[in-house]
Amino acid sequence: MPAGDAARDSGSARHEIPEQEKSLSTAHSDNILRNHKILVANRGEIAMRIMRACGRLNIPFAAVYTAEDAASGHVLLARGEGGEKSLFRVSSYHDANELTAVADEAGCTAVHPGYGFFAEDFRFARRVAKRDRKMIFIGPSWKIIRELGDKINTKRLARSLDVPTVPGSDRPIYDEMEAERIAKTIFEFQGQQGISRPLVLVKASAGGGGMGIEEVYDPELFRSVYRRVRNYALRQFKDEGVLIEQRIMDFNHLEVQIVSDRTGMNPVHFGTRNCSIQSTGLQKRIEVAPGFAPDALEYSFDARKVLDDIVAYSLKMARTVGYDNVGTWEWIVTRKGDPYLMEVNTRIQVENGVSARIAKIRGQGGVDLIAEQIRTGLGEPLGYRQEDISFEGVSIEYRLIAEEPENNFTPWAGQIESFSWKDAPWLTMLTHVPDKLPYEIPTEFDPNLALAIVYGKDIQEAGERGAAFLNSLRLTGSDGTGANLKSNAAFLKDNTGRILYF
Amino acid sequence: MLDISKLLDEIKSSPYREITVTAQHTGKIAFAEIETGARVRGPQGQWKEMPGTKLCTLERERNPKPVYAPENGEICRIHRELDGRFVEAGSPLVVLRHKLTRDEVQRIILQKTLYLFPAPERAKYYFTPEADKKIRASDARSVTVRNGMELFIMSRMKREVPLNYTGPDGVIYEVYFKYNKNLDVGAPLVGICPPEHLRAIQTLVMRVQTEWTET
Repeated sequence: MPAGDAARDSGSARHEIPEQEKSLSTAHSDNILRNHKILVANRGEIAMRIMRACGRLNIPFAAVYTAEDAASGHVLLARGEGGEKSLFRVSSYHDANELTAVADEAGCTAVHPGYGFFAEDFRFARRVAKRDRKMIFIGPSWKIIRELGDKINTKRLARSLDVPTVPGSDRPIYDEMEAERIAKTIFEFQGQQGISRPLVLVKASAGGGGMGIEEVYDPELFRSVYRRVRNYALRQFKDEGVLIEQRIMDFNHLEVQIVSDRTGMNPVHFGTRNCSIQSTGLQKRIEVAPGFAPDALEYSFDARKVLDDIVAYSLKMARTVGYDNVGTWEWIVTRKGDPYLMEVNTRIQVENGVSARIAKIRGQGGVDLIAEQIRTGLGEPLGYRQEDISFEGVSIEYRLIAEEPENNFTPWAGQIESFSWKDAPWLTMLTHVPDKLPYEIPTEFDPNLALAIVYGKDIQEAGERGAAFLNSLRLTGSDGTGANLKSNAAFLKDNTGRILYF
Repeated sequence: MLDISKLLDEIKSSPYREITVTAQHTGKIAFAEIETGARVRGPQGQWKEMPGTKLCTLERERNPKPVYAPENGEICRIHRELDGRFVEAGSPLVVLRHKLTRDEVQRIILQKTLYLFPAPERAKYYFTPEADKKIRASDARSVTVRNGMELFIMSRMKREVPLNYTGPDGVIYEVYFKYNKNLDVGAPLVGICPPEHLRAIQTLVMRVQTEWTET
C-alpha cells in the first residue's frame, strides 16, 4: 500500500474509538453521569481525547475553537460527534468569560479544562464551582489546586510528611541578601558532598513548564542571575518570589500517576513514568511507562525500591490533602537512587496515555484515564481498589513537534503537506492534524503535531516498535520562504535507544 | 510613471468600502434602535475619544458591551435574525457602507505606487533596534533602506529571526504592521519610496488632499 493510502487509512481511524480500546468505564453505572454535559475547554489533541472519552461515557459535550483553529481536527471531530450546535467559536481559549458564557449557552453542567490554559488555575476552578449557575470543574477541587499548585506549599507539605524534597528554600525569597545566603549554603553543602561542579538553581516560584529557571555555577555570578530571574518572574507571573535550590545533575525525571474520587479518601496510583528525555528547555519529548525497567536493565541502585518509594510517598501526600481527581507527582531520581519530590501537577498530563496503555483494571485493559477523570470528577466513586490495578508491558510516547532540535528546539511554523505513518495494532496515534492537507500550523500555539503511543511486551520490543514507527513516518511541508518543514522526528529516533537507561 | 489622475478616477468611480461589524466575543446580542439606510458616525474627536453610533449591545456574563460604528457610513444590513440570540465570536452583526476618507484614498493609492515589502510568513514583525531607534527619534520616513540590509525581526511563536529587506533602495514611506500583532503571509510590511519617486508621491498626496471631498 502506498504511503499516501496508509495515511488515509490511519487518518480515517483518527476520529473513531478502536474496539479494543473501549473503556471499561462504559460498564459503570451511568446514574450519576446522566444529565451531565461537558464543555471541552481546550483545543487540539487533548480536546479530541476528552470528546472521545465523553463518547465512551455517553456524555454529550460542547467544544470551543478560535479562528486560527478552524481547520483543526478537534473542530472536525466536534462537528462530527456532537453536531454543529456543539461547537462554538470564541475569541480566545484564555478568556474565562467566553468559556463560562458558552457553557451556559450550551447547557453544560461541567467544564473539562484539559491541560494548559485553565487546567491548574484555581481561580477559574473556583469561579466555575461557585458562580450562580454552578458547574463542576473536572479536575481537583480548587482548594487542592491552590494548595498543591504552589510549589512552595507542596514542598512544605512534603517536608512535614518526611517526603524528600530537593535541598533549598521552602518559601519564596524576595530579599537579595537572604537569597545569597541560601545559595552560599547550598554551594557549601554540595562541596561537602564531594560534587565537583556545584550548581544552584534559581526558579521563579510562580513559574512552571520549565519557564523562569536559571542555574548558577559561580557564586560570584549569583546576584546577577537572581536579579534576572526575579525580573522575569515579575514580568511573567506578577510575583518576584524565587526559589533557590540545589541543581541536581545527572538525574531521571519520574512521575507517579494518581487517581482518586471526590471523597478524597481512596487515591490509587496508575504506576510510574519516566520523562527524562527532554528538550534543552526542559520540555518533555519522550515519556515511558513504567518509570524504570529493573527486570530488563541494570541500575546502580535498587530501582524497584525507588519506584515503590515514590509511589508510597505520592499516595501519602494525596491521602493527606484529600486529593480528589487525577494528578501527577513529579520526581527527580539521582544516579545514587535518591528520589526528591519536584512538584505536583494538579491536572491530567499530556503523557497520561502511556500509563493507561500498560494498566489493567481487574485484568481488563483499555483503560482511559481521561474517562476515569471525567467519571470521578462528576461524582462517581472510583469503583476499584489498588489491588485491582495491574500493569503489563512497556509503553512509550513520542511527542512529534514541528521544531528544530539542532537550533535549540525553536518552533517551526508553516504548512504540512503530507503526514502519514504505518498503522499497527501496537500504535495509538493522537493528532489534531486533519486528514485533509495541506494544514497550516497556527502560530498562536505550540506546534505540537501528534502523540504516538507505542506498546511492547518489554522495553526492547517497545523500543524496536518505536523505531519502526518513526521510520515509517512521512512528514513534509514548507514555510512561506520555501524552506522545508522541520520536525523533531530524528531527535526522537536518536533518543529511542537510551530510553530507561540511567 | 504614475498616472495619478487615472488612479483617482478609478477610486472616484466606486468610493465606498463595505465594513462588516462582527462580534468580538461570544454573547447575547441586543440591537440598538437602528435602521437600514440610516447614517451612523464613527468615533469622533481629536483622539477618537467619543464613541460612534451605538449599533448593538453584546452581553456576556452580565457584562453588557456596547458595539459602536467603527467609521462613518450608512447601514446596509442588520442581522436582525440574531437579535436576542447568543452569537459566536466573529459573527457578522451589521454591514456599513463607508465612503472613503482622504487618508484611506491616500493609503490605497500609496499601496499601488510604493514598493511593498511583503511578510514572508504569518508572524509578528518588529524593526531592528537600530531602525526602531531612528523611527522613534524622528519618524519612519527618516530611515533609508538598502537592498539586503537587516531591517526587521520576525517573531514566530518563541522564535525570533532577523529578516533582511530586499527591494529597491529608498525611504520607508509607510509602515503597515502593528506592534505585537500577527501579520498574514504576503501582507505588506512597509511601503518603500525610491528617491526618484519621492516628488511624484508628494504631488499625489497633495492632489488627494485637495481633490477628495469628505462628507
